[in-house]
Amino acid sequence: MLDTLHGMSRVSQVLADRSARIRELKAQGKKAVGYFCSYVPVEILTAMDLVPVRILGDMDEPVTEMDTVLPTSFCPFLRNCINTVFRGRYDFLDGVVGAHSCDAQEKSIHVWKSKIKYEFYHYLDMPATLHPWGADMYRSSLEKFKSSCEAWTGKPLSGEALEASILAHNRHRSLVRELYELKRFDPPLVSGSDTLRILTAISGLPVDEGSALLEAVIQEARAGKIQADTQDKKRILVVGACLDALPLIRLIEDFDADVVMDDNCMGARTYFRDVSITKDPMQGLASRYLDLTCARTFRETVAGEFRKDHAADLETRFAHLGNYIEKWRVEGVVIQLVRFCDPFGYEVPELKDYLNSINIPNLYLETEYTTGSLAPLKTRLQTFLETLL
Amino acid sequence: MPTDTIKIKRLKAMYRLRAKVDDMYTSGLEAMKDGRPVAWSMVTWWHADPVFKAMDLEVVYPENYAAMVAASGKASRYLDLCDADGFPTHLCGYSRINLGYVSRMVNGCAGGIPPEAPMGGLPKPVMMLSHSMLCDARVKWFQSLGRYMDTPVWMMETALPGVEEWNDPDVRKWSLKLVMDEIEQFIAYLERMLGRKLNRDRYDEMLSDMITLSRLAYKTFELRKATPCPMHSRDFWSVMPPYLYMSGDLKDSIDCYQALYDEVEQRVASRIGAVEPEKYRLLFAELPPWHSLEFFDRLAERGWNFVKESWAYNPPRPLEGLEDISDPVERHARFHLHVATGYHADALADDEYMGYLGYPYVKFAKDYACDGAFFHGLMTCRSASTHHPYTRELLMRKLKIPSFQVEGDLVDLRLFNAEEALRRAEVFEESMDYYRELRQQEHFPADNMQPA
Ligand code: SF4
Ligand code: SF4
Repeated sequence: MLDTLHGMSRVSQVLADRSARIRELKAQGKKAVGYFCSYVPVEILTAMDLVPVRILGDMDEPVTEMDTVLPTSFCPFLRNCINTVFRGRYDFLDGVVGAHSCDAQEKSIHVWKSKIKYEFYHYLDMPATLHPWGADMYRSSLEKFKSSCEAWTGKPLSGEALEASILAHNRHRSLVRELYELKRFDPPLVSGSDTLRILTAISGLPVDEGSALLEAVIQEARAGKIQADTQDKKRILVVGACLDALPLIRLIEDFDADVVMDDNCMGARTYFRDVSITKDPMQGLASRYLDLTCARTFRETVAGEFRKDHAADLETRFAHLGNYIEKWRVEGVVIQLVRFCDPFGYEVPELKDYLNSINIPNLYLETEYTTGSLAPLKTRLQTFLETLL
Repeated sequence: MPTDTIKIKRLKAMYRLRAKVDDMYTSGLEAMKDGRPVAWSMVTWWHADPVFKAMDLEVVYPENYAAMVAASGKASRYLDLCDADGFPTHLCGYSRINLGYVSRMVNGCAGGIPPEAPMGGLPKPVMMLSHSMLCDARVKWFQSLGRYMDTPVWMMETALPGVEEWNDPDVRKWSLKLVMDEIEQFIAYLERMLGRKLNRDRYDEMLSDMITLSRLAYKTFELRKATPCPMHSRDFWSVMPPYLYMSGDLKDSIDCYQALYDEVEQRVASRIGAVEPEKYRLLFAELPPWHSLEFFDRLAERGWNFVKESWAYNPPRPLEGLEDISDPVERHARFHLHVATGYHADALADDEYMGYLGYPYVKFAKDYACDGAFFHGLMTCRSASTHHPYTRELLMRKLKIPSFQVEGDLVDLRLFNAEEALRRAEVFEESMDYYRELRQQEHFPADNMQPA
């Protein structure tokens, strides 16, 4: 058995080979389904007894397999993730689910489906707004996802199984939030890099195993066994799209700062909102997923207004960051963008407007999603961190 | 625009259609002077345009305007402003021009049109319409103008079902419903904003004209399958705005298109090619280097005829039974939805899943008997470049049609090196010759073979 270790030792063990546990589960007859994005409703997969596996990139790995797949002027994060798939790192997957969360996700799932034949593919079309009639469409789209899983596995999905899965994922999310609570301490009981390591480990485990692991690391953290450091460090929030790689966080930590909070797809964005338990679980899922705080959604203060109120607009789109900043006593914000990411790219000036309006120092960094591309950013980062009082 | 050369035989009927794009800006400016409202719109692939037209709201398209600013060589001032305001440089080049333009309009010209703006400039809008088809820029760009203007944005959604999913009646049903709901809600929004009701008869008439125009354009372009091809891509790009943007008077556009059809048909009957002798027939992927169109004349001198362009700028395939749908909103919605799904069935039959941007090229390459494909990679337009590697491989795998890629950009004109591209084109001819022979030896379908 691979899971004889506990807490952070187990995290390290999972990270050493994310596929090991999945292969064990597959040997027991389970099927694994890959996905990239926080918009894939993992609750449905879990309820169908499928193992959702978040596909990650590798900033240290050169992109070698994309010449006939995706161009260089394309989201380097996703390109890198798909490259890892094409290099065989996810050869254990039985199926793949893509969502129309951003244009890059939508287009790449179609190319991928044309190139690698899995047993199961599902593409989830979804609206870009919170229009009620769009939400109806999204709900139908989720129903279709459910029936497509049923058709593939040959098993019906009962309302009870779905509800149980939602509860399990809600619990899982609440444990992640509990972990984040430990980062409110000064110094935080878990560092930014350890947080990301933990989140990466659980993103490839069945939900209950992930929850058990979270409980163990929370216990270790409370006992002061994870963050031995007692030094006073700058408290940083990193905001961006898909931050699954350690090098940037380590870079920040190298300069006597700690990433105490984030707003990205591996972290808070995915775990800070639960699915409401409603009579109709599908409705609960639809509401939760459409309302994630991601730049991909066109969020309006007042739908159908005749005059735009810019201050109110910023508040609607970014107030959650203000809350994080206050609660986690953040001293500076690093806006991290991967090149060619349009949904987040268009937000940058307004995000800065918002952060400036609440007097929080901020720095915008653009990366190519390679470790090498971080080196030139060092000086700017260092200068920024030094200026924080 | 450079003057025409004798190498590409331009169509006479093209000139009237080409002038219509200028009319669009002139009408916008006249509306502003008369105190009538003007809207800005993304290209919506006919989702919003008939409503705008039926509501008598003047519309200008900043994507199109930015292309003209770039072609006029006046983009750098606006690009610099956009960069200075903190927008990342990888964003859609057209949006960067527009963001810089608005920054200048608001901060440098007290809200007025910048005096140096080409074509008289873009008048300040009363509303802006975003649209979710094809790229994220089209969703986010107008929203990000909020830091300069208090102009409201209406975001219009569309459905983008996948190839396999489109086979599913449920998916068709909800996609149609979404597209219809969006039309109704947009109408309601404009009615509230403008304080007047949509004249449903006029809307119906606009839809009929839109469908007639689009079919006529489609029928005209189908004639380009002839050998030699009677109409070059340069003419295609010139005649595209009247149906893509529905610019100007639609009935007049229909007349102009009828004249174009007649002229092209006449050429086919007389076996007149746009390039003579026609040695190579090519596809062109996505948007051309607007600032270097003479490049095509140089290629024409080598016998290259460009016979078909991207799905994205072509009218949709005619949809059977559209006229029988009595509800205009449904008719409208089906027309729009068919744009992105019109080639899905072909793609599915071929086990390919990039059904709109990628697969139509296979169909075009076959139907138009192409020898090669030219892919113009646009660094800052994701829609116009994401599918290139896949499609190039697809053309080779399915049809043994070679392609070559030349890097360029929407606005950074330095990226496109015409001399270098011409040198590579010469070498590429060997590839086209080689694969033509190979296809003949391997008995590829007749419609994919070029007569000697
Ligand atoms: S980084 Fe941006 S473009 Fe890339 S997948 Fe995430 S949201 Fe999409
Ligand atoms: S990225 Fe391309 S398709 Fe999108 S708005 Fe810009 S030019 Fe248009």
